[in-house]
Amino acid sequence: MNWRQVFLVLKREYLTRVKSKGFIAATLLVPIGFIAIYGIGILVVVWESDVSYQIGIKDDTSQIVTALNEQSPEQYLNLSDISIDSLRTLVQTEEITGYVHITEENISKNIPLELIYSGSGGMTLLGTIRSDMRDVFRQEQLKRAEVSQEVRDIFATRIAMDSRRLSEDGEETDDDTAFLSGVGFVMGFIIFGAIFGYGGYIMRGVIEEKTNRIIEVITSSVKPIELLTGKMAGVGALAVTQIGIWLITVVGLAMLAAPILSTFMSAQSEDLAAAESMAAQADIPLLSNIPTIETSLIIYFVVFFLLGYLLYSSLFAAVGSAADSETDTQQLMLPIMAPIFIAYFILFQSSRNPESVISVVGSIIPFFSPIVMISRIAISDVPFWQIGLAIFLMIITFIGTMWLSAKIYKVGILSYGSSAGFKDLLKWIRQ
Amino acid sequence: MSKTNTIQVNNLSKTFGKTKAVQNVSFDVEKGRIFGLLGPNGAGKTTTIRMINYIIPVDQGSITINDLPVSPKTQRLIGYMPEERGLYKKMKVGEQLIYLAQLKGLSIGDAKEKIRYWLGRFNALDWNQKVVGELSKGMSQKIQFIATIVHDPDIYIFDEPFSGLDPINSELLKEIIIELREKGKTILFSTHRMEQVEQMCDDICLFNNGKVVLTGNLRDIKKKFGKNTVLMEFQGDSSFLDQLKNVRINNRSTNFAEIRILDSQSPQDILKEAINHAEIHKFHLVEPSLNEIFISTVGEDNIKIQEEA
Repeated sequence: MNWRQVFLVLKREYLTRVKSKGFIAATLLVPIGFIAIYGIGILVVVWESDVSYQIGIKDDTSQIVTALNEQSPEQYLNLSDISIDSLRTLVQTEEITGYVHITEENISKNIPLELIYSGSGGMTLLGTIRSDMRDVFRQEQLKRAEVSQEVRDIFATRIAMDSRRLSEDGEETDDDTAFLSGVGFVMGFIIFGAIFGYGGYIMRGVIEEKTNRIIEVITSSVKPIELLTGKMAGVGALAVTQIGIWLITVVGLAMLAAPILSTFMSAQSEDLAAAESMAAQADIPLLSNIPTIETSLIIYFVVFFLLGYLLYSSLFAAVGSAADSETDTQQLMLPIMAPIFIAYFILFQSSRNPESVISVVGSIIPFFSPIVMISRIAISDVPFWQIGLAIFLMIITFIGTMWLSAKIYKVGILSYGSSAGFKDLLKWIRQ
Repeated sequence: MSKTNTIQVNNLSKTFGKTKAVQNVSFDVEKGRIFGLLGPNGAGKTTTIRMINYIIPVDQGSITINDLPVSPKTQRLIGYMPEERGLYKKMKVGEQLIYLAQLKGLSIGDAKEKIRYWLGRFNALDWNQKVVGELSKGMSQKIQFIATIVHDPDIYIFDEPFSGLDPINSELLKEIIIELREKGKTILFSTHRMEQVEQMCDDICLFNNGKVVLTGNLRDIKKKFGKNTVLMEFQGDSSFLDQLKNVRINNRSTNFAEIRILDSQSPQDILKEAINHAEIHKFHLVEPSLNEIFISTVGEDNIKIQEEA
């Protein structure tokens, strides 16, 4: 391999891309898009919990319906004076969503209630009505038992629990598990996206050289393996540049935001205490101090990012070389997409439960490790042998995929006319 | 150095799966001459050329360039313009030419100087900052020529150089080739349109179906075949041509015919016959065309056109 040629290819791949409008736009737009997707996701979840419904209550005791009306007058209508038959008609004509008939026995003997409704509204509707009923029934039962207000308050409380981590050398620190679990997921997700994004860059670059017909001019000066290596290194450098820009921006913004946030917080320290207890009630972790991301995590992120990129990018190049146009790549893309998506699904598990069997095994299998392992490292203390083993296996696998891809690439770039199938690829590998 | 041979191809074979693309091919390209690799599409010309350029590996036999086996080193001695031509569409003309020249081993300074010279020659200095995608087809063909010759190699290989060129660029390329030969450079080119190259080649090698059927000096080959072809211009009824025996009519129109005379037929008899039927404007006894030589060497039935591998 002539490294001067590799470097020339690298330089071209890097410079033509980094100067392109597409790169500048992507650098700006991807984070915005990322935030937008999450924003929309949260909005959808919030919207979903907001169901509109009207339930008719026929209450023979009249105590429950009063309490329900106090709690949410819009949703519960006092229809105690209407006959069951009329209630049924109301449901059928969709005047009301449904009705509940409450008798004395429901309260005194805990006989289950029955909601008669049209069947629309789904789980959220049922859940909301059920919890409303439970609250009101408990209140009524407590009242009947003539329990004092103090005891009633006790039933209403929910104790908060804070967590702190105790390290092996006896140091106690704030527990950022919730935060770090988010960081782990985001890091895994970035690697997931990057493998597709930059792999796609490489694939399109290879196809472009084929369709432009410049490939034969290039191969009369450069060996295919030099071209492939230069391409992968060039796009890799591009990836590091782009992720670097994002990292620096995030760190910079955090450093700017920290002093502002802390003055804001100290000025309102009394309110903060109140906010904390409220957050605890609602099971929302409130970050009283900004958690720190360790430098070692960032280094691991870069390492796993690069290894993941290398592992997959040569395969993307091989697919590009076998195809005659981008639309022809779908069949060949499947074996690459499948492991990336499996890794993505394991990521959901590993960012919540990093020590589960599937997380640990997934984080060591080379095709999954870049996405899964980084989330585990972010959240928990992964034994070093596991990290080391994962890195070692990824390097071995990278050598394998590179060897395979180089064989396919060498033949593929010079076959014009029709896209190759798996059979052709096997033939090329054996050649 | 052995003799004055620049490219020596020895017993070369190449197989793709079950197809024997090239079989036991040998020929020598001498220094300072124009060598034509001729034959129908799919005869194995491009495969041979790719092996000479070290783009695909040799299965059997050997190729030497200036007595060196083909390698990345010999690649730099060659300027190659493939049949499938192309450039990076999004790159600027200047940047692209510098890149391609650097890949051939030029320093950035040398590359810039030579690119200036050639752009100047083609009145194209103001294209330097243009993106290739914005150029017309003819303009980008000129850039392709520059990309091929910019590193000033000793050997030039053009695969089907005239296919897809507009007439102006065809002439320009012919001029370049002649000029290069005058400078003592060696040129090898391939084509399936033999009439195109008759005037240009010193030596030829005829390919058919992966094998060499004829190779040598074009003059000698033609002499060997003798003056056995009649070019005739006439006016009148041309149906007498169909009555002629022991001839092959290669090229025929309402008032022109190219007649290859086969065994035991004399040109004089043909002339007599012709005078009886038509008014003869021209009757010219010449050496056969390359196309005719090819057909009579291979035999009409053996010309196989197969997919180019």
